[in-house]
Amino acid sequence: MWQKIKRYSFLYTKYFTSHLKVMLEYKGDFFIGMLSVLVQQLTAIFFLKIVFDHIEALKGWTFYQILFIYAVAFLGRAVHHIFFDNLWTVGWQYIRSGTFDRLLLRPVNPLFQIISERVQQDGFGQLLIGIFILHTAASHLHIQWGVSSVFMLLLFILSSGIIFVAINLFFITFSFWMIDSLPLVVSMFQFSDFARYPVNIYPKAITLIITWIIPYGFTAFYPAAYFFENQYYSVLALLTPVVSLITMVLSYLFWNRGVKSFSSTGS
Amino acid sequence: MRKYWELLISQIKVDTAYIAWYWADMFSSILRLFIMYFFWAAVFQHKHDLSDISFESMITYVVLAMIMESYITGAGTMLAHNIKNGDIALELLKPYDYLTKLQFMDLGSKVSGFVRASIPVFLLGFFFADVQLPATPGGFLLFIISFMIGICIGAQVDLIIGVFAFWTVNIWGLRVLREAVAKFFSGALVPLTLFPDWFQAISQYLPFQSMIYVPVAIYTGQIPAGKEAYLSVLTQCVWLIITFISVRIIWSQAIKKVTIFGG
Repeated sequence: MWQKIKRYSFLYTKYFTSHLKVMLEYKGDFFIGMLSVLVQQLTAIFFLKIVFDHIEALKGWTFYQILFIYAVAFLGRAVHHIFFDNLWTVGWQYIRSGTFDRLLLRPVNPLFQIISERVQQDGFGQLLIGIFILHTAASHLHIQWGVSSVFMLLLFILSSGIIFVAINLFFITFSFWMIDSLPLVVSMFQFSDFARYPVNIYPKAITLIITWIIPYGFTAFYPAAYFFENQYYSVLALLTPVVSLITMVLSYLFWNRGVKSFSSTGS
Repeated sequence: MRKYWELLISQIKVDTAYIAWYWADMFSSILRLFIMYFFWAAVFQHKHDLSDISFESMITYVVLAMIMESYITGAGTMLAHNIKNGDIALELLKPYDYLTKLQFMDLGSKVSGFVRASIPVFLLGFFFADVQLPATPGGFLLFIISFMIGICIGAQVDLIIGVFAFWTVNIWGLRVLREAVAKFFSGALVPLTLFPDWFQAISQYLPFQSMIYVPVAIYTGQIPAGKEAYLSVLTQCVWLIITFISVRIIWSQAIKKVTIFGG
């Protein structure tokens, strides 16, 4: 086990440094990419600001509370965006083109290979803006930062990222049967936008879906609500790491099933 | 002219072949409609109007703007793609005007997009989300004209971004940047009248508001029918001419580069 971890981290470092070299080669593109994502997020915040210029609260939630939710969403998304972006391309880049067979021949986990074959530098823009607005929102909300709350925040962000990855992994796995399930992944991803706002603005059915079926609620709203001192949502927030673990395990098992059925038809 | 129509129709056929995307587009648009509706319903919870815009008028605006937004991008992606993989050299040899060809193919995609996303969203919005019909038939007619011009301006701006693929590798970043800027200045998210004055002043000097805000505001009556509406459409025409000429100028510069490489 230990040997395996060592080998995989060695491999990942190798992959990562080669990505870094590419990034440094195309500096201009690196900055365009970062800037573009930055501006993209800023428009979302600016939109919120414009709306809040005309209202005091959104069903009882203040501007800075919603900003805080946005920040958690951005940071969780950034984890997914930087390190796991290649999952989007499994269908057309690996299965349709037949490259996936090549991955199966190598003595390394195919999922690991797919993930490490790309680092999406644009995600760093998201990371930066996420940290910046998290700081702004938190200071206006007078959140007291201690060791435990910072730890919880980091744990929540990591879990949020894992949930994003797990849901994408789950739906892209259908590619093994339908060649490219990207349309499915894209439409399911749309659910993540619901988590950017407090769930009490939605009807029960939608809340139910984004909490228990496609648990995007745990990528932003619930973990953020942990810091708002709201009894009910804080308890749900504590489930975030558990939910991320469960979705990841389920998705990975499903992925393995997909790989298995692929190799039995493929050869 | 005939060959361009054939291209348009073939693109519609290609698009309809991908049935999965058909459902995905419709589904995503409907989810976005949901989010929008509940968000704005929460905004208007204790309010009768937001700087004189009623809830019905607001929801009509945002839904139509969302529909419009999907039409203001397009041909540039294909152009950038062809530049990147070198197909551009072959395309230039063929007996059609390449930029016109791209725009007609793009128009084909838009026609199929109209059926797969716009119509379902509009109907759903109309029956369940308080989306209103235009006040007068005349206003509706002017909206159609303004809508068409808006799409054409969007296509020109998109081509400008696409041509940049000659000089930069990360065309994706450039597109996202443009989309973000356009999203704001075009009024795709909220009516421009809600913005601070300085922002409205800037957007008057940019082509983006002609892409979405003008047609949609004509529809909802925020730009009152009559003199003001005609003037807005006239401004749109001016922007269309400016962007059209800009594309051709940048394009001719870029083409020189290809011929140099080609020897």
